Amino acid sequence: MSQTKSAELVIHAERTRPVRLKKSFESYAGLLDGLASDSRSMQLEYSHWEKALNAVNEHIAVRDEEIEAAKGAYQEVAELLASNLSWPPEAISILPQGSVSTKTLIRSPNGREKFDIDAVCQVDISRIEASEPMAFFESIGKALVDLNAEAKRRCWNIPFPQRSFYLEFTPSVPLNTVPRNTYESMAPRYRAVRYEGTALAVVDTPTTSWKTSNPAGMSKWVDDTAKRALILVPAMEALAKNRVLDSIAPVPDQTVEITDTLRVAIRLFKRHRDMCVKRGLIERGTKPISVIIVTLLTTCYEGLADLGRVFQHPVEVLNELALYMPHLVLKLDGKYRVDNPTVEGENFAEKWNDDGEERFRSFMTWCDALSADLKTILALTEPQAISKRVREVFGIPAPAGGSGVLPTIETPKPKATPVTTGLA
Amino acid sequence: MNSGENKLTLNLALIREQFPDLLPSALSREGGITAYRLQLPTFQEGRGFKWAELRLPAEFPGCAKAFIQLSSDAVLRLPHVDDNGALCMDGDPGPGSGHSAEERVLFLLNAYLEQFLKPWLNGSLDEAFETEALNYWAIEVARARSQYDPVTAVWTVDPPPKKAMIRSGMLLTPNRIIVAADEALRITNRVVQSLGAEQRTAVLIADVPISYVLTPSTWPKSMGDLERILKGRLLPADYSQFQVHRSRRGREIHRVVLLRNAEIAFAYLLPGGPPTVRDIGKGKGKRKKSFPSPSKVLPLITSRLDPNWTAGRDQHPEVDRRQAKHVLVLGAGALGSPIVDHLAKAGVGRISLVDADTMSPANVGRHLLGAESIGESKARAVAKRVNLAFPSTEVVPYFKNTAAWLKENSLADVHAVLDLTGEPDVRAQIENARQKHPCPLLVGWMEPYVAAAHACSLPSEQSWLQGSIDPLYSLQAVVWPDEVIQQEPGCSSRFQSYTAAAAEHAVALVAECALEMIDAEPFPPRVRSWVRGQLYLDKHWPGLKHNEWANIASGFEGLSLMRPFP
Repeated sequence: MSQTKSAELVIHAERTRPVRLKKSFESYAGLLDGLASDSRSMQLEYSHWEKALNAVNEHIAVRDEEIEAAKGAYQEVAELLASNLSWPPEAISILPQGSVSTKTLIRSPNGREKFDIDAVCQVDISRIEASEPMAFFESIGKALVDLNAEAKRRCWNIPFPQRSFYLEFTPSVPLNTVPRNTYESMAPRYRAVRYEGTALAVVDTPTTSWKTSNPAGMSKWVDDTAKRALILVPAMEALAKNRVLDSIAPVPDQTVEITDTLRVAIRLFKRHRDMCVKRGLIERGTKPISVIIVTLLTTCYEGLADLGRVFQHPVEVLNELALYMPHLVLKLDGKYRVDNPTVEGENFAEKWNDDGEERFRSFMTWCDALSADLKTILALTEPQAISKRVREVFGIPAPAGGSGVLPTIETPKPKATPVTTGLA
Repeated sequence: MNSGENKLTLNLALIREQFPDLLPSALSREGGITAYRLQLPTFQEGRGFKWAELRLPAEFPGCAKAFIQLSSDAVLRLPHVDDNGALCMDGDPGPGSGHSAEERVLFLLNAYLEQFLKPWLNGSLDEAFETEALNYWAIEVARARSQYDPVTAVWTVDPPPKKAMIRSGMLLTPNRIIVAADEALRITNRVVQSLGAEQRTAVLIADVPISYVLTPSTWPKSMGDLERILKGRLLPADYSQFQVHRSRRGREIHRVVLLRNAEIAFAYLLPGGPPTVRDIGKGKGKRKKSFPSPSKVLPLITSRLDPNWTAGRDQHPEVDRRQAKHVLVLGAGALGSPIVDHLAKAGVGRISLVDADTMSPANVGRHLLGAESIGESKARAVAKRVNLAFPSTEVVPYFKNTAAWLKENSLADVHAVLDLTGEPDVRAQIENARQKHPCPLLVGWMEPYVAAAHACSLPSEQSWLQGSIDPLYSLQAVVWPDEVIQQEPGCSSRFQSYTAAAAEHAVALVAECALEMIDAEPFPPRVRSWVRGQLYLDKHWPGLKHNEWANIASGFEGLSLMRPFP
């Protein structure tokens, strides 16, 4: 029977490291055995973990107002571009990409640290003069000079000093406006993929050439996948059933419930990665980048759904995703690969291949820490202990509030300085 | 003062009117302290602590301040709590404030509520640990500490590495301090010398750079936590090397994990490792071996001895450049000796100090050195003293005159020459040497009585002599009669009289000017002068007059002036 690509990857993961995975599953099953036999009490047992993990999810959420403020910034940038470039305004469109568009933006555990908002500026290249990649990239940068934009590998970084975020702004052109021979050089065995319609070409400044990308495709893929159900709903339990139905509905904002399991997993795992950096387990410069986490988790989730696997509870899915994740990175012809499933030729793990395996080791260290930490959480049964451990692991402070009932003391006015004959 | 009287005079009812959570029954605490419990609000999960007390020392209100004490479960869980549970904040304005005891207690309770309890409950103190991380680390270290610990501290002497690595360091005894570097770094030896260590033992160090400051909730607490970091950060080969805690000769070796960024370091001594032999009591024979814990990691206090911290407090990026500089200082006298001291404090890496003179009792009143150096070479004694005091600088002494030094050395690797001898011969000799190897030059000297001092700085290409004429005398500020000696002859018992305090002005002028020259090139040729006013001149010799250019200083105590070099 032919499998989907994601299903193949899941099966591949199970085959390549069967011992390790089997062991993990057995120990997990062992944990569950000790808990409850019927599904109703099982749901109850899970609820402690769910509650604790949900508290994490709520803490790391970025407020809608902040996201909206950032979207206002896109508009500012778009207007600046339109006025500074002599390109027709309708040839330029600005779209969110990255964690904003996949609704997996999280707050940094380092209080004052800004969050990054990724946007892609899509230009219909057939209607403008700059057709060479570098000329195109530079012309966008020049138009943003008033915002102190700084060139990065494929984007312009706009610092926005007074705000809680900075903007990473990637100039791009629709892939179908790039001449055929150019994109054959980007992806030699170019095949049609899902979400092809939104594929883009962005400028890779180190190589001064076009590279494929597909931010809209990625967010559509995450969205489509997140809607698929992996949880077996006992028909009797209406409450749980409703929760699952909720998860199928579109998610309008950044507040996702734990029933939106894929996104919850992405957010919690990203937070865990950030905490690993904070604790010194991995280095800030080589930590696994978010798009790799998104791709691996979505692939795994999709693969499990394609294979018809079912689970009792979202917590079980989270644990499963953590266990699979390290085995979903491919090594083909000696090169690490985390391919963008929505466009040919974009390997998110490109940098892993020329850094002496540092990023790969960093990824594996993080995966090990994640499964180990989840294991300690799932080994607990007492609700307070679960909550305490979950907060420790994810670096979440104790819940705040309750200061309103405290009195206010009126302190005496400071005494006037007594008159002296000495020097003041 | 009778403490019993104090307690009776405190009007609790007045305080309780505003703060009913103060429970009225007085409790006795160690050291004659009177305590009153503070009723606590209902805490959210994870925010609670067992109790809080208002504490009045026996000497309150006359000579002591009231404070708030929390139960020990708050230490390292809540910020602003010191190692014994006392709350660190400005509360009681103190006995000199003019407030009554009751008012002072109200100030304290107000601070407890507004600066501590409310912000803690609403979460705004959650990141407070990060701003004073080392204070909390000191609490962690103090809690784990015992007098038998084989190691008491770790000193770092260089910036953290870019990538985690294994390096060798040394445990110094009897200080029991580990220096986290080996002899490959020159500064290591100088630090060891400063410590006056008797013995050094090799130590293995995992030096791991961190991106964020560690806090009680993120720093490693067990061997397991450290293992995760080591496994994640070290290269696999380094990780295996670090697992073996034996030296090549098969002896057990101490292992230390150092987690640090450019400002802060956290260190741990790992379990295992050899015993440390300690002297106990006075006299010979009484020695005791201390073993590291077989299972627990020992948190250690760290100190930074790197030049950026000791010389620049991380505020002076130029320290890095100064470290790479070699400065030749001619003359270790009343001007030269304190200038070397200043250059070392400012982080200059290498100083060659040339002086053929020995320390005499008459020098004691105005020299860096004191009576303990009488009869010693000034150059050697200054070098010894500065080398011990400032490990970031290496002073190499030459007990000879400039001519002799120039026979064996050149200015080829010298970044700046400071001629502080005041001798015309030396100026001519240096001028010759600069023609072979152009090099920036500072000529610094003091006029009699330090009525004026000058620092003339010249870039490499600018010569000092103007034709065959030495311009020094034409640059002076005061017209000196012949009776006043301008140069102290080596073979005479006559000396200029001045105080070290008056000379400090000259030292400061020359030191600042020298550092400016060492830091910045190119710079224009110029003369900086410190000129005392007429009052000062009149005090020292009747009828002294300023040269015309310096007349402007006449009405002042003293004036700093800058002129282009003619």
